Formats: sequence, structure tokens, C-alpha cells
Amino acid sequence: MSSPTPLPLRVLWNAFFWTYERATWQYDLMVIAILAFVWLTPPDWLGDPTASGSGPIGWLIEQLR
Amino acid sequence: MTFTGLIGRICLYPLELIIRASVALRIHPNTLTFIGVLINFAAAWALARGRFVIAGVIMVIANIFDYIDGKVAHELNAVSDFGGFWDSVIDRFSDLSLFIGLIFLYSSLQRTEYVMITALAMMFAIMTSYTRARAESLIKKCKVGFMERPERIVLFMIGAFTNRMAAVMWVILVLSVFTVADRIIYTYRELRETRQAVA
Repeated sequence: MSSPTPLPLRVLWNAFFWTYERATWQYDLMVIAILAFVWLTPPDWLGDPTASGSGPIGWLIEQLR
Repeated sequence: MTFTGLIGRICLYPLELIIRASVALRIHPNTLTFIGVLINFAAAWALARGRFVIAGVIMVIANIFDYIDGKVAHELNAVSDFGGFWDSVIDRFSDLSLFIGLIFLYSSLQRTEYVMITALAMMFAIMTSYTRARAESLIKKCKVGFMERPERIVLFMIGAFTNRMAAVMWVILVLSVFTVADRIIYTYRELRETRQAVA
């Protein structure tokens, strides 16, 4: 008998092999993750050719120092 | 109701008004599609000049045309096979033009790595459409994968309005690669199941 797939692996597989419709909570979660990456990642980390600065994460790190 | 569902409903109201106006003026849906691509070319030009906010505004206008053409076709009883074909073809021109605008910008800034990232994102964006179209000539439906055209367009707008185009290109690239892979895997599985059912 095969053992069931562990939950984290199942979540990762479902995120990769995307079969969810729009306007579901899984879709919302993915949108939040994307927006967090786009807006929170410091442009300097990505070497953004048109934006500069350290962004909100950089600002937070500065404040914590 | 989900968060994205709510945003969809809010955006739908002004669009309904525009659809009603287009129906009243009896504008042919294929004309609306064509106007949409012309406006998208203007957005691409703005991207190429690095004028992101202007590009974002133009993209919003272009995509209103893109969205309403199908609805107007329905209202005017002008739905046709050619209309569907024309819409798909014109959509590819719109998609490609935005990527080309960005490639022009990054090459003029001499940022080869982002020229490559954008070119790869463009390749997988087109393959996303192609894999589905080709798959659906073999199986009934192939609507898997996250990064479809509406998601791509909204991301382009977010990148333009908030000047985060580099991050947006990374997201489009990675999720388009996944989407193409999803569609290949899904089609393989569906065809295997059909083969086994026959045997």
C-alpha cells in the first residue's frame, strides 16, 4: 500500500499544476503571493533597469538595524 | 465572495455602460478588436520610451476594447467563427507588441539580461496560447495553468503603474513556464487515458 503524499508536497504540486478557477480562495492566495513579490522585493535585488531603491523590505531591514 | 471576485464585479459596472453604448451605436465587434490592437501598439510605444504610467493608462483603454468585443458580438447577434479567430490572432499581436516595447526599452538601456528575460517571457507567453490551441485540437479542453492572458495583462498594468516591470517580467516568465508545462502534462495524461479506454 502506498503512503499518502505529505501535505507540503501536495500544496507545492497543486501550486505548480494549477487547475483552480478564478475567484477561488486558492486564486486569491496566489494573487497575494505575486503582489507581495512584485511590490515588496527591493528593485536593487532584481537589478531593475527602471526602478531603484531597496523597497519596503529594504526599508524594514534598515529600521531593524 | 473572494477578493478577486469583488474587484471583478466593481470593474464590470463601467464596462457594462460601454458595452451598452457600443451596442446602441452598432459598432461591429471585429472593428472593436482592431481598435484595441492599435491602442495596444501605442502602449507598446510608451513602454519603449520608458513612459510607464502613460503606457498603463493606454493599456487600460486598449483592454476595455479587448474585453467588450465578445460581449458586443453577443448582444448584436454577431458571434461568428471568424470573429473568434480574428480575436485570437489580434490578441497575439497585442501581447507581442507589449513585450517588444519592453525589449526595445531594455536594449536602449543596454540591459542585455532583461532583454533576455523579456524575450523568454514573450516566448512562453505565446507558447501558453499555442499549447492550449493545439491541445484543444486533440482533447476537449486544456484550461490548466495560472498565467493566462488576463493575468498577464493585469500584471503588465501593475508593473507599469507602480514601476515594477522587472519583477513583473520575472513573474510572467516563471509562471508561463509552469503553465506551458502544465498544459503539456495535462494533454499527455488526457491522451493516455483516451488510449487506454480504447484499448
